[in-house]
Amino acid sequence: MPGPLDTVRVIDLSGPIGHYAGRQLADLGADVIKVEPLEGDEARTFEPRIPNVPDIESSFQFVLLNANKRGLALDYETPAGRDTLLELVKTADVLLESFPPAVAKSLCLTDRDLRAASPDLIHTSVTGWGLSGPYADWAYADIVGCAMSGVMALAGFPDGPPEQLPDFQGYTCASIDAAAGTVAALLHHQATGEGQLVEVAMQEALSMAQETAMMTADILQVDRERTAGLGVFGVSIPGIGLYEAADGHVFYVGVGTAGAGFPGLLQFMRDEGAIQDLDQDPYATFIEESFDRMKIIEILSDPEQSASAGPILAHIDRVVGTFSAARPKQYLYEEGQRRRILVGMVSTPGDIASSPQLAARDWFIDRDDPGRGVRLRYPGFAWRLKGTPAELRRPAPLLGEHSDEVLSEVGLTPERIRALYAEGIVR
Amino acid sequence: MTTPRVLEGVNVLDLTWFGAGPIAVRTLAGLGADVVRVETESRPDGLRIGGPRPVGTTNLNLSGYYNNFNADKRSITINLRKPEGHELGMQLVRWADVMMTNMTARAIRNIGMTWEEVRAANPGIIALYQPMQGMTGPHSEFGGFGAVLSTLCGSNYLAGYEENDPSGVGTNYPDYVVNPIHAATAILSALYHRRKTGDGQLIDMSQLESSVAAMSGPLFAEMNGGPSHERRGNRHAMFAPHGAFELEEDPNDPDRWIAIACTDEDEWLSLTEACGHPEWAADNRFATQAARKNNEDALEQLLSQWAAGQTGQAALNLLQGAGVPAGLVLRASDTLADRHLTERGYFVYLDHVEAGRRAYDGSGFHMSATPLEPRNAAPMLGEHTFEVATEILGISADRIAELVESQVLY
Repeated sequence: MPGPLDTVRVIDLSGPIGHYAGRQLADLGADVIKVEPLEGDEARTFEPRIPNVPDIESSFQFVLLNANKRGLALDYETPAGRDTLLELVKTADVLLESFPPAVAKSLCLTDRDLRAASPDLIHTSVTGWGLSGPYADWAYADIVGCAMSGVMALAGFPDGPPEQLPDFQGYTCASIDAAAGTVAALLHHQATGEGQLVEVAMQEALSMAQETAMMTADILQVDRERTAGLGVFGVSIPGIGLYEAADGHVFYVGVGTAGAGFPGLLQFMRDEGAIQDLDQDPYATFIEESFDRMKIIEILSDPEQSASAGPILAHIDRVVGTFSAARPKQYLYEEGQRRRILVGMVSTPGDIASSPQLAARDWFIDRDDPGRGVRLRYPGFAWRLKGTPAELRRPAPLLGEHSDEVLSEVGLTPERIRALYAEGIVR
Repeated sequence: MTTPRVLEGVNVLDLTWFGAGPIAVRTLAGLGADVVRVETESRPDGLRIGGPRPVGTTNLNLSGYYNNFNADKRSITINLRKPEGHELGMQLVRWADVMMTNMTARAIRNIGMTWEEVRAANPGIIALYQPMQGMTGPHSEFGGFGAVLSTLCGSNYLAGYEENDPSGVGTNYPDYVVNPIHAATAILSALYHRRKTGDGQLIDMSQLESSVAAMSGPLFAEMNGGPSHERRGNRHAMFAPHGAFELEEDPNDPDRWIAIACTDEDEWLSLTEACGHPEWAADNRFATQAARKNNEDALEQLLSQWAAGQTGQAALNLLQGAGVPAGLVLRASDTLADRHLTERGYFVYLDHVEAGRRAYDGSGFHMSATPLEPRNAAPMLGEHTFEVATEILGISADRIAELVESQVLY
């Protein structure tokens, strides 16, 4: 069964901020043709690298985010190269790119230019700041998007710097929004034949990830600060949050609206002979009467109550800590969850690679990459459309791997293709 | 002329709660789908109970957390666990083109809306089930919110510095963009397929898989002979400087930072000029990208000293004026007032009967021909019960009164 977008062709001119957008469209079955400059996409230079693979083909990031695409290397800054690009665009449903407005203008590849070549084109632009507004031509990087969207102010320890999100989430969120917008535009095109501009700004794409911070500022005129993981409650409550395990960390949501709650965690500790004195007073009565999230927040915000309850809470916290620190995280996680305690373990990449759940669902994909002479294990897809399942059809293109094939397909004569190679416009 | 909408005429049954599900469905609502959200009074969406909300209030219609994620929807309150309630729910299943839920498999069985049951009632439906770990496998019944998922998917471990606990990024990060917008893309793609073929389908979406897919760079490297992930906080694997630097201390406005990243020679040279320290460019320790990376401690120290004498806006203008990627670490109130976001109209202000005029996040993507920015504030709990019961379910006013009496409808 082909993917849902199997009749769609995408020309992907995007840099790193848009790579995952093109990848998702390709995973959904679209024919995504990645057009790189002759020297190759910038991400080809990124570390780390696949061992024993030639430099320009070895970047893990490039190989991961460009799988399922075909590749053409074309100098579209030359007139002949630009003409060739526009011929490609005419055969496509979607053009995905990431040029800031001034760059698009200098390349003569603005929305107006593209629409002149292909009136019903879906043109998806994904950049740091969008195509309008005072910052439109500002420089950007992933960490800059994290900063200017408000998410970075929430991450980190009070005595350290605000922290960026992991693994380029600014680019990732921008790409996720760009893919969603592109498919929405495809639906509109399917119904009406009309194309349009889809525009994504990383600063905006990340904004929703401020969680409650924007609404807190709007409603209460208060800014949330970075609290090292105390999260929306802003206070430390036993049974909620991060605890050290014997070999890492676990995270409990022990007092909440779902699952076995703190009583479930206590029973787990009791069954393991690790309850210590929590079944005795003053702890037993305190837990019986006051162990509710909102109640504890209320107690902690009242200095008088907090003075008497503080040591009790601290002791309960220590007992939970001692119990957790003596056990492996995988055990606390799996046995805790079997008891319906909402608990997770802090997974390292190695833990994820060996996750029994991901293995049982055959999530990882092993695939030969003959061009690079390696066999790689890929993370799986973000979704499972059971009627139109995604497939890893091909590894990321070698530089210029499909230049000839693609140019022939769009109708260039062999003579013209030869001329483009001879003039150094295609590689 | 009215603006065309991508999902005009598409009916969506929203059985989601908390973050990831409601935001996904909000995207469909923005695109013009008719979204009916089924809620209960006995067990309301946790975000209705939470905050932020005006001090001293408990009203379920005042939570900013809930309201921001549920714009443009209708709300009907049905007790799906009662037989008559279940029948009304199945009537909505038959009405719907799309159904989405992020309940656990157990909760779905309890309300009798498994894929088999839903498909039997409506063979053409697109149904997205988004439990934390998917619908199959040994952990499929495991429960948890975004905070649990953040630890499992690697977000906590990948973020932050080696010397600190893996405390995460201060939010339940995957809930707000990664999982909801991945889900929206999956549903929109299934609709595209359905319009070609008439076929609906099941979408099994594990929030764990979706989140790992979105941050799988270190995993991909480690599985294939690359280096293990180093927890390096704001630093980058190959570029320096790359971090956040504290600005001049202002007692009235403390804790201000600027993020700076130089990813090529031009940006680095521009930075040294803009900072008024061209001698840095001539320093052997910083002569190449590799040298800057090797001497990152010293480089960061120099930049920290420079930043400590700068005020935010001036430093930002200076660096961006020179083409250096830089941004202030904005707080939420700063983003609401940010001149760029304001000029672009990103935040949208909507009137709500009880909560008043409040800011909503706009859409993460814009469409020139079919705009999808939020138009209507979130529904109050059960605000549209009567309307949906009469218009969609075709129930008479008398019958509605009986169902309210027997607590099938609230």
